[in-house]
Amino acid sequence: MAEFDCEETKSLVHEYLHNELRPEDQKDITTHLALCDSCEEEYDLEVYLNKAITRSCDEEPPKQLAQKVLDSMRKSQQH
Amino acid sequence: MSIVLEQSIAGRLLDSEPMTIQPNKDSEDKIRDFERQAIPLMPQLYGAALRWTRNPSDAEDLVQEAMAKAFVAWAQYQQGTNLKAWLYRIMTNTHINSYNKKAKDPSKGGLDNLEDWQLGDAKSLTATTSRSAELEALDNLPSEVIRKSLLEIPEEFRMVVYYAVVDGLSYAEIAEVMGTPVGTVMSRLHRGKKLLRVLLAEYAREKGYLSSETKTEKS
Repeated sequence: MAEFDCEETKSLVHEYLHNELRPEDQKDITTHLALCDSCEEEYDLEVYLNKAITRSCDEEPPKQLAQKVLDSMRKSQQH
Repeated sequence: MSIVLEQSIAGRLLDSEPMTIQPNKDSEDKIRDFERQAIPLMPQLYGAALRWTRNPSDAEDLVQEAMAKAFVAWAQYQQGTNLKAWLYRIMTNTHINSYNKKAKDPSKGGLDNLEDWQLGDAKSLTATTSRSAELEALDNLPSEVIRKSLLEIPEEFRMVVYYAVVDGLSYAEIAEVMGTPVGTVMSRLHRGKKLLRVLLAEYAREKGYLSSETKTEKS
């Protein structure tokens, strides 16, 4: 049996997702999620939210930015 | 460049004449090291800078300013340690020093003392919606909406969410980058994501991404 109750499991979902728990706690949460639909839903939601955030933050820097940085470094070295 | 290097090494090894190292050799080495190690991390820095400044032209300025500072401080970077965290830390300081001076936000400062109920309750807002509908909405919401919603949550929360979710930094790394205890990182991540969920649920309900029957149940 999992050692965490539903409230604890739901509050630790972020840490679980980000691998911030001790291995034994990580294992206990996995067990709880497998047995509990309500907590599994909460977990799914966080996974989807993370996916949504990640897909929204995919902007590329302007092409000339690296060159600008290098140019200003070279300039600063000439003084 | 490699020829110059070989010659100077050969010159030193043979010790046949007084040291004739190129006058700019050190600075060329420094630029080359920096170019090889730090420049490839610039897309990530730019991504974080966009979250700090909330617009592309300020983000570009912030990256340039942070990179210039990092270059000046390059000798202090300890090779083998986490370079990305080091650069992010410099960028955090740069942003806080130069940008926050421009517009002091009086609402800032007490954020971490807010109670959960003051932040709004994601559970009560989404309780009337089936989880599968909320999942579907999250999947279907335009990236633009999610990006804008992220920019609406307070900066301290937004950055922790960004570093943890998009960049995959550990809590300890985020604590280092933001200059806060790990416990603060944890609570800001929880609260930031909760706020974001509330904003997205509101938007999804307004725009019909969530089924209409949920409208009547929420006052």
